[in-house]
Amino acid sequence: MGANPNGEIVLETKDLNVFYAKSHALIDINVETKKNNVTALIGPSGCGKSTLIRSFNRMNDVIDGCKITGTVLYKGRDLYHEYNIEEIRTKIGMIFQKPNPFPMTIYDNISYGPSVHGINDTKKLDEIVERSLKLAVLWDEVKDRLKDNSLELSGGQQQRLCIARALAIEPEILLMDEPTASLDPIASAKVEALILQLRKRYTVVIVTHNMQQAARISDYTGFLYMGRLIEFAETTELFESPKEDLTEKYLTGRFG
Amino acid sequence: MTLERKSERGIKTILIICGFSAAIFVFFIILFLIINGVPAFTEIGFGDFFFGTAWHPTWTPPSWGAAPIIVGTLLVTLGAMVIAVPVGLAAAIFISQLAPSRIKRYLKTAIELLAGIPSIVFGFFGLLVLTQWLRISFNLLSGTCWLAGSIILAIMSLPTIISVAEDAITAVPITYKEASLAIGATKWQTIRRIIVPAARSGIITAIILGIGRAIGETMAVMMVTGNQAILPQPITNIFSSIRPITATLALELGEVSWGSPHYHALFALAIVLFVIVLIINSVATILIRKRVRVYKEKPKDGKGSSEILLKAKNFIKFTIYIIIVSAFLFLNFAPFLSTSDPLSLSLILILIIGIAIGIYALFKFILKVSLFYSVLMLILFWILWTWFGTLNTLLIGCFCVGIYLLFKFVLSAKFIQRIAFTFLTLSIFVVVFMLGVVIAYIVFNGAPALSWQFLTQSPSDLGRAGGVFPAIIGTILLAGGALLVGGLLGIFAGVYLAEYSHEGKINKIIRAGMDNLNGTPSIVFGLFGFAFFVIYLKFGVCLLAGQLTLGIMILPTVTRTTEEAIKAIPNSFREGSLALGATKWQTTYKVVLPAAAPGIITGLILGLGRATGETAPILFVATVFSQRFITLSPFDPVMALPTHLYTLISGVPNSTVNAYGTALVLLLLVLIFYGIAMVLRSRYQRFKKW
Repeated sequence: MGANPNGEIVLETKDLNVFYAKSHALIDINVETKKNNVTALIGPSGCGKSTLIRSFNRMNDVIDGCKITGTVLYKGRDLYHEYNIEEIRTKIGMIFQKPNPFPMTIYDNISYGPSVHGINDTKKLDEIVERSLKLAVLWDEVKDRLKDNSLELSGGQQQRLCIARALAIEPEILLMDEPTASLDPIASAKVEALILQLRKRYTVVIVTHNMQQAARISDYTGFLYMGRLIEFAETTELFESPKEDLTEKYLTGRFG
Repeated sequence: MTLERKSERGIKTILIICGFSAAIFVFFIILFLIINGVPAFTEIGFGDFFFGTAWHPTWTPPSWGAAPIIVGTLLVTLGAMVIAVPVGLAAAIFISQLAPSRIKRYLKTAIELLAGIPSIVFGFFGLLVLTQWLRISFNLLSGTCWLAGSIILAIMSLPTIISVAEDAITAVPITYKEASLAIGATKWQTIRRIIVPAARSGIITAIILGIGRAIGETMAVMMVTGNQAILPQPITNIFSSIRPITATLALELGEVSWGSPHYHALFALAIVLFVIVLIINSVATILIRKRVRVYKEKPKDGKGSSEILLKAKNFIKFTIYIIIVSAFLFLNFAPFLSTSDPLSLSLILILIIGIAIGIYALFKFILKVSLFYSVLMLILFWILWTWFGTLNTLLIGCFCVGIYLLFKFVLSAKFIQRIAFTFLTLSIFVVVFMLGVVIAYIVFNGAPALSWQFLTQSPSDLGRAGGVFPAIIGTILLAGGALLVGGLLGIFAGVYLAEYSHEGKINKIIRAGMDNLNGTPSIVFGLFGFAFFVIYLKFGVCLLAGQLTLGIMILPTVTRTTEEAIKAIPNSFREGSLALGATKWQTTYKVVLPAAAPGIITGLILGLGRATGETAPILFVATVFSQRFITLSPFDPVMALPTHLYTLISGVPNSTVNAYGTALVLLLLVLIFYGIAMVLRSRYQRFKKW
């Protein structure tokens, strides 16, 4: 697969702590992701991996009573203070666990992003829609029904539509929060293949429940447990010779 | 069959009958409206009634042209919606999306309080404050006009619009919001382009229910619109006096002789009102059902709509717009047309149509807006033209285009968001301010009149002196009796709907009955009570007739809250009881009802509050102006606070001080009931452990 260890560090956290109203969800996280790599975050349910990925594009801000300390750096600058929130989310796209297309047409789903960023020219929008759908390997399936309601698509198609929607605004990083968790195996395989393709152009951070998936598609893997980052290493290294006892126990299925 | 089984069946029968009661009442209301109203169409003539423009029932010869009255109802409602829909929607968006959760609670409470203020109090406030303000600031001869009516109705329909729209907006799945924010859209872009469109059917329901609320309102609108049965000249003249259907009924029913053509004509008007409200409620009901489905099911395959169908749809749409526009033009030029000579007339018409097409083309093709918006803008500019003349309208038009271009091309999304949020915040301030002003005004002016004597003495000197003791007693008797009737029926009906009914035809009939009874305007209850209890059953004007009429009116409120409270009880409670061998009724009676009691009691108190504040239903049914001795006999008439207030304002000069006092007592009584209900509900929600 070939990790790209010389890539520039694009995302980096320093002593990141996240608190929800009643719980301390992340404790002193220090992690970095490099450009054009796939970084996977694994761990048992409730370990904080979704919280971590959501703090990379400030989606935690949506949750009432969420407090964050420490810093998250994007290209060396403080993501929470030196960028405005829309700018960050434009640069760092996100795919959610459950496909969440808007209740409108396929075309409108994709053109929504560019149009909120000021692109109103129909020709340009057409181009963007086509390009994004092609990147998400969905174009051939939907090119004749762009004006159909997106909710008519199957689950796997919906998820690829969401990926296309995220790609339409040309982000640099894609965050994926268990993107295949709600899909059947065939649809999952298609999405996985897509992620491997996207790796060439984008930096991907993926949260997954599925260790095999992490091993298959990622270059780096981080293992989280109870809000702490237990181990972070190149995927092959982490899976073949984990340094921490906890990691090994988790990987061999003795808990989790 | 064991005794237990028999009593189970007996109870079920009683519950079904109570469930059906609403449908039965609706049936009787319709029946009595038809019996008393249909003769009018033969006596007056269908065309003369609907298209006649002169309503002079007491002239010789009399004429019963109801067009100005029907149009008046539509105009005053339209005006109210023009004000209430933007403000209400903005307030709903603010509460749902922007307000911090602590403030949200207080705002919702404020809006419920606004809904609780009796309409007669609004009317009193409107007459003394609003119309005076309009008269002075617009330099009018009289401030009682269409605009005043629309403003009052807007305030009164705001709570309905806000609460229903807020529910709909809050119900939009958070995943849509997250997806949009994750693309880097601003909060406002997300609200405007994702959340509001996703909540569209709920928002339309809110508007329709708001229309229903406004169109059926009687006392408030009657006191501020001036009540001349004329078509405004021109039709956009918002300072013209108008007279809606409800006001006509309330004003004239007391003076007609039973069985006369005038009496029939009033019932015919009530039929028109009832039909309008029926249509509105049916549309709202259908939309509510649809909304429940919208996030669950995939929409139907879109391929069914072929080109031809699409074209037909567009054609129908276009025709509707044309009809709207021509109706507008006709209403404005009707008197003008009949006096001019045909040649110049046709020239003018051609000119108007030419300009219309030109402006339409401008909007449609140059600015690329849809047919709907171009027609809307056309009408809008035409209205502006009748108000401000050609030059000013052009200036306003240029100004609007400038603003539009500014928003589209110059301002950043962040800046637009700031402007939008400012407006949202402003509208919630307006709503809270309205509530504050109305309450503060009544309290400050009423407080001096309030004294121990005022509360314990009978009125004297036509109500200018003395107190309101008999009215307080009368109101308590009326509302208490209504609670006994409506509460008992309503609780049983609610139990039936929640525990015993199955989805099916019977259920549909019961629900339709409840929905329609809920939407029936209060003045129609008054007419029904008069025709049925007072005349047909020969009760005469009396306490009992008032109690029954009010009881029927609050039945749907009690039923709905009971049903909701019972449905909120988790199934595990029932299963636990049933598993011990308890019968269904034992389970309901001993386990479910006690658990649901706080919710049910809340509903009862809300019903009590509503019965206390209503004027129109008891005006001809139960109350008299003056009562020397307090009698507790159900077949004697009583005094009541709302009707006493109405008589003081409308019929007794120089009684303002006591009118303020009466308004304050009434307001306090109603607000205390609402306050208790709200406290009870919030405690119940906090201590609820399931």
